Amino acid sequence: MAASVLIGAWVAAGLTLCMFSFLYKDNPFFRFGEHLYVGISMGYTIVRIYYDVMVKSLYTPVIQEGNMWLLVAAFLGLLVLTRFIPKVSWLSRISFAVIVGFGSGVAIPRIISSNILQQVQGTLKPILGNAGQSLFGMAQFNALLILIGVVTVLIYFFFSIEHKGPIQVAARIGIYFLMINFGAGFGYTVMARMSLLIGRFDDLILFGSRDYGYASVVLLGMIAFGLFMWERRSSVSPGPDQDPRNADSNARNEYPPQ
Amino acid sequence: MAGKLLRMDRRVIFVLIALATLIPLLRPIGLPIRISPEVKQVYDYIESLPPGSVFLLSLDFDPASKPELYPMAVALLNHAFKRDLRVIGMTLWVTGTGMAEKVVSGIASEHGKRRGVDYTFLGYSPGGTNVIINMGQDLAAAFPTDHYGERTADLPVMRGVTSLRQVNYVVSLAAGTPGVESWYVYGKEKYGFELGGGVTAVIAPGLYPFLDTGQINGLIGGLRGAAEYEILVGLKGKAVAGMDAQSATHFIIIGLILLCNLFYFLTPRVGSRSVGRAQNRPGSPREAGR
Repeated sequence: MAASVLIGAWVAAGLTLCMFSFLYKDNPFFRFGEHLYVGISMGYTIVRIYYDVMVKSLYTPVIQEGNMWLLVAAFLGLLVLTRFIPKVSWLSRISFAVIVGFGSGVAIPRIISSNILQQVQGTLKPILGNAGQSLFGMAQFNALLILIGVVTVLIYFFFSIEHKGPIQVAARIGIYFLMINFGAGFGYTVMARMSLLIGRFDDLILFGSRDYGYASVVLLGMIAFGLFMWERRSSVSPGPDQDPRNADSNARNEYPPQ
Repeated sequence: MAGKLLRMDRRVIFVLIALATLIPLLRPIGLPIRISPEVKQVYDYIESLPPGSVFLLSLDFDPASKPELYPMAVALLNHAFKRDLRVIGMTLWVTGTGMAEKVVSGIASEHGKRRGVDYTFLGYSPGGTNVIINMGQDLAAAFPTDHYGERTADLPVMRGVTSLRQVNYVVSLAAGTPGVESWYVYGKEKYGFELGGGVTAVIAPGLYPFLDTGQINGLIGGLRGAAEYEILVGLKGKAVAGMDAQSATHFIIIGLILLCNLFYFLTPRVGSRSVGRAQNRPGSPREAGR
């Protein structure tokens, strides 16, 4: 196995375990991993943007292909940086005006068309089956359910009239639809988070094999030992200059045993 | 008893979830996976494309969503290369560039495909959704060169493809914005290609209205969708392997939700007092929230 792959596996396993250590409590291993992630993400983004934007989309077309009009966009981009110079910071508004104007102009018609008009069209499907279809099948039932859901939720968010009588009933039904929506969303979110956990565990199992020098097992032991030593040091020397984020570890002694 | 369970240290739940994840990964059970219609629709559409058709896969995610979307990319690319489609890979997420290039070139080499002839990876181009508009007008203008520095217009794989109008099928594997919705709003509606989506489970519910109206022709949602696609392609990979663990963790979570609600209603007073007291303990919500 290549040394780079082996080093990569140890780094990946170590950082994963550093992040998981937060499940015990906030600790230096977690904070190290957290800060490293932020720094590396930013560094990677800067490098990629340098090559993909500055070199590939600006330098090469201007210098090699003579597309001088790109300098206009580059100039507008540079104007944004004037935010750092208070005296001329107003110049950045020109760039923002272009961004907002162009963005709105492009987005508004497209969003209205696809997110409103076509969605309304999708809501108004035939409630009864057409010729040759069953009069009331599952498709028609779904169409009816969607229609009732849309109308009742809209009534729930209609605040111009008091929710009394039939309006109150409709609004109540709308709340049930919203609750089902929130529940479905939460269920999918749980599924997503568990998938991420499975992904990390999958890698940890792989990196815990002999081929990778039992990286996960060794690093788990090291981090557990580190946490033990950190806890011990925290409990021995609590001083006024102690990190306030560790206050909870002292606070727990104030509670009676359960 | 109920009060004690309501005051349970969060870390007990973490251990339960960890075990429910770890054990099925080490000892797979092989629970059955049913194919959902929305996943089958993506598969069927790729099956219906004749060899040589242009398939554009936009890998709009970064490593944070790798466990869900990477298996989808592997399954879709395997399917496309098996069908001898011309594959164009790209990304709208700058932080996903390296990973996206790795999966496209890796699967292509497994199938013996040649870069530039059978497939290419265009890489990242700045602008987010504007890139899609630009590609619809002039693909070579949006990506003058591919990720490897070759002129896009000169590549054999791009023969006859000057804009998105000549692309037969686009699938966006997305973890957010720009993603599937952007491809629909700024791409499909104007340039008329067929669009499918593969997304993380978090954003999947928000895309079902687009599926219902036919704005996208299929949807692969989360790890489960990836597992279904792996089964359809006949290539059981990481997604299928993870489904047992997924089911086990869901079982634990459903059980805990039911138990907590049951105990909460049985002992409302104990519950309300103990929750207040438990907030400062290590492993409590307050500590985790810091």
